[in-house]
Amino acid sequence: MRVLKQIYSIAIRECGILMKNPIYGFCMVIFPLFVVFFFTSLMNKGLPTDMPVGVVDLDNTATTRSMIRHLDAFQTTKVVAKYDNVNEARQAIQENKIYAFLYIPRGTTDGLMTSSRPKISFYYSNVTLVAGSMLFRDLKTISSLGSASVGKTKLSALGKTDDEIKTYLQPIAIDLHMIGNPWSNYNVYLSTVMVPGILMLFIFLLTPYSIGTELKFKHSKEWFAMAGNNPWIAITGKLLPQFMIFLTIFYLFEIYIYYILGFPHPGGVFTMLLLGFLAVVSAQGFGVFAFGLMPSLRMSMSICSLWAVVSFSTSGATYPAFSMNPIIQELTNLFPLRHYYMIYQINIFNGYPLMDAWFSISALILFALLPIFVMGNIKRAMLLYVYIP
Amino acid sequence: MEKNEGLLNKILNGLRDMCYIWAKEMRSTVTDEGVLIFFILVPLGYPLLYSWIYNNEVVREVPVAIVDQSHSQTSREFTREVDASPDTKVAYYCNSIDEAKDLIGKQKVHGILYFPKDFSTKLFRSEQAHLSLYCDMSLMLTYKAIYQTIQAVAGKINSNIQIAQSKDYTNRDDEITTKPLDFAEVPIFNSTGGYGNAIIPGVLILILQQTLMLGIGLGAGTARESNRYKDLVPISRHYIGIFRIVLGKSMCYFMIYSVMAAYITMCVPRFFNYTMLASGIDLLGLMVPFISSVIFFGMALSCLVRYRENVMLLVIFTSVPLLFISGISWPLADMPGVWQAIAYIFPSTFGIRGFLRISSMGGTLSDIQPEVTALWIQTVVYLFLTCAVYRFQINNTRKHAYDKIENLKKKAIEAKNKNKKTEE
Repeated sequence: MRVLKQIYSIAIRECGILMKNPIYGFCMVIFPLFVVFFFTSLMNKGLPTDMPVGVVDLDNTATTRSMIRHLDAFQTTKVVAKYDNVNEARQAIQENKIYAFLYIPRGTTDGLMTSSRPKISFYYSNVTLVAGSMLFRDLKTISSLGSASVGKTKLSALGKTDDEIKTYLQPIAIDLHMIGNPWSNYNVYLSTVMVPGILMLFIFLLTPYSIGTELKFKHSKEWFAMAGNNPWIAITGKLLPQFMIFLTIFYLFEIYIYYILGFPHPGGVFTMLLLGFLAVVSAQGFGVFAFGLMPSLRMSMSICSLWAVVSFSTSGATYPAFSMNPIIQELTNLFPLRHYYMIYQINIFNGYPLMDAWFSISALILFALLPIFVMGNIKRAMLLYVYIP
Repeated sequence: MEKNEGLLNKILNGLRDMCYIWAKEMRSTVTDEGVLIFFILVPLGYPLLYSWIYNNEVVREVPVAIVDQSHSQTSREFTREVDASPDTKVAYYCNSIDEAKDLIGKQKVHGILYFPKDFSTKLFRSEQAHLSLYCDMSLMLTYKAIYQTIQAVAGKINSNIQIAQSKDYTNRDDEITTKPLDFAEVPIFNSTGGYGNAIIPGVLILILQQTLMLGIGLGAGTARESNRYKDLVPISRHYIGIFRIVLGKSMCYFMIYSVMAAYITMCVPRFFNYTMLASGIDLLGLMVPFISSVIFFGMALSCLVRYRENVMLLVIFTSVPLLFISGISWPLADMPGVWQAIAYIFPSTFGIRGFLRISSMGGTLSDIQPEVTALWIQTVVYLFLTCAVYRFQINNTRKHAYDKIENLKKKAIEAKNKNKKTEE
């Protein structure tokens, strides 16, 4: 009972600190909400549409023009300019006016008529990877359709039915099932990991910040006295209000993306709540651990920030972890965001049972328990150390 | 004549003070552990770490599960081709979709290829045969690798079927039958489609900006905390002019960061064999305005910093949004106008765009003229902003000093009065 009272009074004191220093309000509420809004609105289209493409049409016949019109009609492509030669088109890519262009040399239509197999080319830039791969798909489709339309004309002249023509042109057809994200929506794909990553970054930074500033402003002894010099009570009481705020923000984020924006979530409510909770406690655990290892405000915050920024890459959400160097593959397990991503995609996005992500779930629990190892250190630091800038 | 001499003297004095501040800032940079970490260690080490992470560039051998209900010659040929393709490998053979689905849950495979029972029957009956591809969409790169491979394999097998059905005589006939309109796919820039090549140039430029901002902010925070009145500008006869303070400090940062920029833009890409088409002159033309605009941007913002640690809270979280806003991963053409406008505030936006174009696309300085101009404009604007901020700070310092003296005077008078009273 006395313990609860102590925790309560420390939590109240912490609330006062949170109110007094505006940086907490910014980093716990305003910036996180801003980040949520930023990512979800940046990619609100889901998929890039009407990306600028150029054309170098030296043939300029009805056939090639109809080809270009078809290309323009694709959802992702928009033909914005015609160039006189390949060099000009290349220059336009370098000036960031277009991402790709289609080159149709003189005599293409003639070649088609005389069956001499003319050759067209398409050039695409992979420097912006998303644009490159999407335009590649469109340009390849339009080029293949060029062949297909020749075949179609020939076969229908022979009196084949549409069904026969279809079968001849494509004996094996692929039915593609994009499970969970049939629109290949980039908002669903990126916002679900980038935003939690930044929320966890704030927790990473603020946890050592709030503990370290006690030392910096020489309030640490007063704080520990309130806890009867028990570091467990002191840390619990201090982190409790922060935990509640961060958890609220996390849940608001989840409600926003899953229920208002309607991101797929076959995993259900329980999994979401569990993942939000695990994310917050593991990040707080890591923050306390980092401070306990190096009870210096600056060093622990530096470590936490470097760790948090690298975790966007090591989470394996954009570039898969199994394609990285084997050493890095193992090291990715040291980053809470990696486990967050695994649980998210296995349990929430794909709706598999929690058992399939047992490793990541236990890893996050382990992160939350890390402070056990450094409690003594924190106590010593708070009672004996002085702040060195 | 006398006036001229005065002016000359003033300039000389100014230069002397500037150099004094420059040297002092250098000293405090080297002795401050925190600044040293962000100015030296992070720019040296972080690019290597990121390059190491992304150095494999492309996704190869993505595991796929096969559910073959058809057990035919064609389905087996298809499976062999998928296994032989560089981007995919056949990891499991399953008896049912459910069994394969479990494998996705356990992350053993990232896609399922399903041949229905009537697959080859339909082919022999000259009907269109369908096969189903189920992709795990949690990773776009694995989806792309699997889908493109399956498409390519299907195209190849389809051509073989067409050739078998046709009445051609020569190889040339076959070619014309299967592909009357030939085409070439040319990935003109970043030809491997490598992820590292696409993302690393942006990360490198961003590392320059963020570490510089952190370093400047930490330095300003320290200056403020060690100052008696919590002011940014100390009271000293060297710190009397705005320009000498601003230029003196920026010279120090510029000196360190010309080395860092050279290392990051010229050495790191070579260590890891990234595409590097930029020439030294073009790099110089881009990096000089970039570094200067970041310095002044950082200095203007540094006045907001009350405690040194707050800088980290303010700067670090912006890294990821800044990377996205520069248009490196989400195409610029599809970005909402508001964000495009906000992007203009930050030097990294133009730095990343310009650097990508000269390093990965072999552009020249004239191709990135708009970006370079924007960076110069930013440099000038932020220089004046910094000067305004410092002017405000100097006035603050004077006011605090003046208040202090007034306070002392008042106390002295009070003490005197008290003395008088006691005497009376």
